Amino acid sequence: MGVRPTQVVFIVFVLGIAVLAAGARADTRLPEGTRRPFTIGLTPEQNVFKQMERYAPLAEYLSEKTGLDVRLKVFMSYGKVIDDFVSSGVDGAFFGSLAYVLARERTGVRVLVRPEDRNGSSLYHGLVFVRKGSGIRHVTEMRGKRFAFVDPASTAGFLLPLIYLRSHGVKDYKGYFAETYFAGTHEDAIYDVLNGKADIGAAKNTIFWRLAGADPRISRELKILTRSPDMPETALAVRKDLDHQVGTAIRDTLLQMHNDPLGLTILRDLGARRFVLTTEAYYEPVVGYLRQIGCSPKNYRYPGE
Amino acid sequence: MKRRIIIGLACFTLIFFLGGIYIINAIQKTTSTLNDLIKLHQVEILREQLLSDAKLTLSDFAFQNTRYASKSDTVVANVVHMAGVAKRCSTCHHSAETTGKIAELRTRIQSYEEALSRVLTVRASPSRLIYEEDGAFRAGRELINQLDSMTLLTRSRLEKKTASSLKRIGEMKSLLFILIAAGPVFAVGLAVIFIQGFTKPLNEILRATRKVKNGDLEFRIQGLRDEFGEVAASFNEMAKSLNEHMQNLQRAEQMKVVGEIAAGLVHEIKNPLTGIKASMQVLLEQESCEEEDRVVLSKVLDAVMGIEGLMKSLLNFAKPPKPRLVPVDMNMVLESTVAFSLPYASVGPNGPRDVIVVKDFDPHLPSTLADPGQMQQVFLNLFMNALEAMPGGGTLTVRTSAEPGGGLRIEIRDTGKGIDRNAREKLFVPFFTTKHKGTGLGLAVTKRFVEAHGGTISADENPAGGTIFRILLPPAGPR
Repeated sequence: MGVRPTQVVFIVFVLGIAVLAAGARADTRLPEGTRRPFTIGLTPEQNVFKQMERYAPLAEYLSEKTGLDVRLKVFMSYGKVIDDFVSSGVDGAFFGSLAYVLARERTGVRVLVRPEDRNGSSLYHGLVFVRKGSGIRHVTEMRGKRFAFVDPASTAGFLLPLIYLRSHGVKDYKGYFAETYFAGTHEDAIYDVLNGKADIGAAKNTIFWRLAGADPRISRELKILTRSPDMPETALAVRKDLDHQVGTAIRDTLLQMHNDPLGLTILRDLGARRFVLTTEAYYEPVVGYLRQIGCSPKNYRYPGE
Repeated sequence: MKRRIIIGLACFTLIFFLGGIYIINAIQKTTSTLNDLIKLHQVEILREQLLSDAKLTLSDFAFQNTRYASKSDTVVANVVHMAGVAKRCSTCHHSAETTGKIAELRTRIQSYEEALSRVLTVRASPSRLIYEEDGAFRAGRELINQLDSMTLLTRSRLEKKTASSLKRIGEMKSLLFILIAAGPVFAVGLAVIFIQGFTKPLNEILRATRKVKNGDLEFRIQGLRDEFGEVAASFNEMAKSLNEHMQNLQRAEQMKVVGEIAAGLVHEIKNPLTGIKASMQVLLEQESCEEEDRVVLSKVLDAVMGIEGLMKSLLNFAKPPKPRLVPVDMNMVLESTVAFSLPYASVGPNGPRDVIVVKDFDPHLPSTLADPGQMQQVFLNLFMNALEAMPGGGTLTVRTSAEPGGGLRIEIRDTGKGIDRNAREKLFVPFFTTKHKGTGLGLAVTKRFVEAHGGTISADENPAGGTIFRILLPPAGPR
């Protein structure tokens, strides 16, 4: 049976409409009357006040686009984000990879998106560094020194250095070093080594290089001893019982914000190019690392507790 | 007046415009001063707020790990608020010195923030914790001390600035009140001047109108200028014209009465005089009449003829015959009259005399409508008077010329003794005479005849000595 020209035109028209509809941006704004608070927790990756300042434009943008009243809450430690997730009433949080694995196990949060940096990477790795001229070139030379970790629930700031130490035969790090402590933020760990408050430090590369861009002393005076394998970048996860519609609105807004000039500006200030979807599979290596130190997400206890 | 109104309105507008500009400027200056003052106070408030925030954060810090400790969210909110206030502070100042101080303050706040964040997040040994806490506390104290010193320094400056600004605002306010009060006074003053400028001349004109209405035709408006001056001049001309018309009417009325009286007199006197004259002539013709009686009778006859002449003149003056107008060549009339008068020119009262008669006739003189008899009598009167004025001889000039509108000008000038100004003004008044034997009616009748032709006659002083009589006759046409 032949196809008439008019039928061809009609089919092309319908297909065109369908393609346009598919290409059009989805409206991520929730229906009117649903303006309710949505609190996002922040881990102290750097100075807690700077963290609030850094994420404030993103919160405003999400409020405007979703119709939610998006607020920020910064926690004083990575562990607090996990432990107080339910009691503090937050709806979601930006978790580091270890913190997410622990929170998922303990609170059931589900990951949505994570940022992709300007180079198109949404991964980071951990660094272990010392002062140049400290004479420390190997783990064996670290004995009796002071080690500045970031936080017991930080992948780059604790778990990965621990794996590194273990791989070099240091099982009891507390006895190996003269002093170990948790500087609280990656920034503080870096500056403690730089300023001589500690001899060895660990932090994530993204923050290390961001600070090095602003303070040339970091590149000039610090020496990186090792780097870890790549890990998924800090991701936004939401509580398990979050309204699906709200979760979708937040996710879609973040995934689309690089298409909006204002959104793009906010992303640039955050050091990101866009948000990308993330899946549980990215976090499997973290579970493996925990296993290497004889722990699981369920029984992991923060040292010093 | 129109010019004065325009100038007045222009002045009024200019003064109000300048006043308006001044008021707007004063309001703008006051607003600007107030704005500056408000900004300075806002800065002061910000500074005090910053100080309060710094103290609050230090208090939060001091009470941490106690039962009075604030929640971490509150601590963060207070520090973020303090940083926000400091940020706003830096947008308020512009001088390099102040900007430097604010930058130093922000650096100190940043250090304090970092130290606080450090204390809030660090997990370390007690000695390290104490070290970090001491650092944060010291940073907080240093910040508060700097803010205290800045507040103290600027507070006294602000007080002085506030006092001087308020004083300046007070002065501007007083000046504005004066201007606002002076505006209506000035407007009323100008209005009064304008109203007076209108009403005073109008009242003067109204008064003059009433005077004229009440019969005072001699009244004239004096001292008005501009358009009112022009109105006054027109009014005065009208009053003068009215006065002349009234006088003419009165004179005509008088002449009518005099004419009727003269006609009656002439009628009553003429018949007896004719009888007396005839009787005298009969008696003179009788041979029996003695020589002495003949002399007396001759004198009586002369007197009777004189009375007859006077009667005739009186009748001519009082009731002049209506001129019979025909086209006339006035040069011809003058020529014949001069020819008639020439015998009288050569002999004066004291014997022969030398009178030169100059005839300066315009050959293109247009003909006119006139009664040749009456005009001849007019010219004869004037020639005779001129000759009488030159008993010892002189020059009699007769000149004709055409007037621009088609009229005629005739001048008769002598080089005699002349007539003084007072006498000249009364020259055409009936019964006025400078001669011993004159009746005083010759020139009056002459004037009546000229006026009967629609013309005018005047007498002036001849610059060469003597008198000039000028007759102006209208152009030929329907009269």
